[in-house]
Amino acid sequence: MAYERNNSSDYINPIRRLLIGVLLFILIGFFAVWRIDSPRIERFRAQITDQVVPSFAWALAPVTFLGDVFNDFRSYQRIYEQNQELRRELQQMKAWKEAALQLEQRNAKLLDLNKVRLDPKLTYVTGVVLADSGSPFRQSVLVNVGARDGIQDGWATMDGIGLVGRVSGVGKDTSRVILLTDSNSRIPVTIQPAGQRAMLSGDNTALPPIDFIESPELVRPGDRVVSSGDGGVFPAGLLVGHVAQGSDRRLRIRLAADYERLEFLRVLRSRVLTPLYDPGSLLAPAVQPAAPIEAEQPSENSDG
Amino acid sequence: MADPIFSSRLAYRLFYVGFAIVILFFLLLPLQTTPRGWAAPDFLMCVTFAWVLRRPDYVPATLIAAIMLTMDFMLQRPPGLQAALVLLGAEFLRSRMILNRDLPFLVEWALVATVVFAIVIGERLVLMIVLLDPPSLGLSFIQAIATTSAYPLIVLLSAQVMGIQKAVRGDVDAKGRLV
Repeated sequence: MAYERNNSSDYINPIRRLLIGVLLFILIGFFAVWRIDSPRIERFRAQITDQVVPSFAWALAPVTFLGDVFNDFRSYQRIYEQNQELRRELQQMKAWKEAALQLEQRNAKLLDLNKVRLDPKLTYVTGVVLADSGSPFRQSVLVNVGARDGIQDGWATMDGIGLVGRVSGVGKDTSRVILLTDSNSRIPVTIQPAGQRAMLSGDNTALPPIDFIESPELVRPGDRVVSSGDGGVFPAGLLVGHVAQGSDRRLRIRLAADYERLEFLRVLRSRVLTPLYDPGSLLAPAVQPAAPIEAEQPSENSDG
Repeated sequence: MADPIFSSRLAYRLFYVGFAIVILFFLLLPLQTTPRGWAAPDFLMCVTFAWVLRRPDYVPATLIAAIMLTMDFMLQRPPGLQAALVLLGAEFLRSRMILNRDLPFLVEWALVATVVFAIVIGERLVLMIVLLDPPSLGLSFIQAIATTSAYPLIVLLSAQVMGIQKAVRGDVDAKGRLV
């Protein structure tokens, strides 16, 4: 008897229901605010991450190290084949190195003749990968450079060789990099040598597909893919990867960056982006105020 | 039969929080940065449901809401959505707690599986209603199946290691309160 009364008073009374209702209201409220005004909540999320993850860092690093050691150990099983493979590759590389050296000298000479200056704005900040997204549904990593180091949303991120992703969400000490494989990632690319413009859209698989190719017959597996710089978000000419054809005959990209081991990432200091204040201006250009146009009219007339 | 390892209710609640932190820590380790075709079970959801059906006083609703909201924020999920659904599921199970005392484990397992799948489907429905891309269907179901299959293991571990048994009629806790 006692337990029945206890039960009814503890678990089913109206005050309890009210509490559950209030909790649900708060949670759904968070979701609604996030859906309506995402940037504010995302900034809040970046701040939370910024507080929490660095406090884990002392433990994250050694455990990650142990995990990597374990992975390496497994790869010792096929060390002989790897050795053979590497020797063959080394032979090829020596030939390439000769060619590269000659080309470099020639390039330096030509640049000197042309008085070309390389873009000095394209410097980079290197960060260490602290954590990944923690969920199989999202592909992103957290690096240990943030607003303190001048990182801004939208900057491109590379490992030593290829493009890895773009910065989305900057905290004081950390920033989140959305990888090219994430299903929310869309990057404009150019396929060399055909010069075809296309869109690389991540779909949560290791080989993201290419969309919107004008003439797919000009594109072959093995072609180089670089970022095109369309839309002004990314610098042009960063290596993304090579075209590959999936089993479903769809054109995909084999990424040049080593996604198995993302340890250090370079965040490229691109030009300052135009900040996006509201989603409306993305769809249609803001209406120009009428006054300056009228003011220009007389001057044009006077010129003419 | 293991005896309860902690004497106070507060200790169990703290253990629950600690468990969530450990789970979060292992999820955040950057060991796998390539997309994978499988998903690990959601152990936190398992523990929440197992405890709610055994000792509901160890996992109060406020604690579940707070922990799940934090997980949503840290794991890049839409904040609050999964937390709200898990809370709803947990409260549904809590209301079945008395009934569940006299039923065999298989029935409980089926009930929990239903709740886990309802959460996955509910999340997809809400995301579609608010015009967001839901996560990939296959992966969500793999995760739901993994969570469901991990449930008996979690129940076994929490019974043998933590000493959390189904309370029976007239049981008292260490302080002599009826549970």
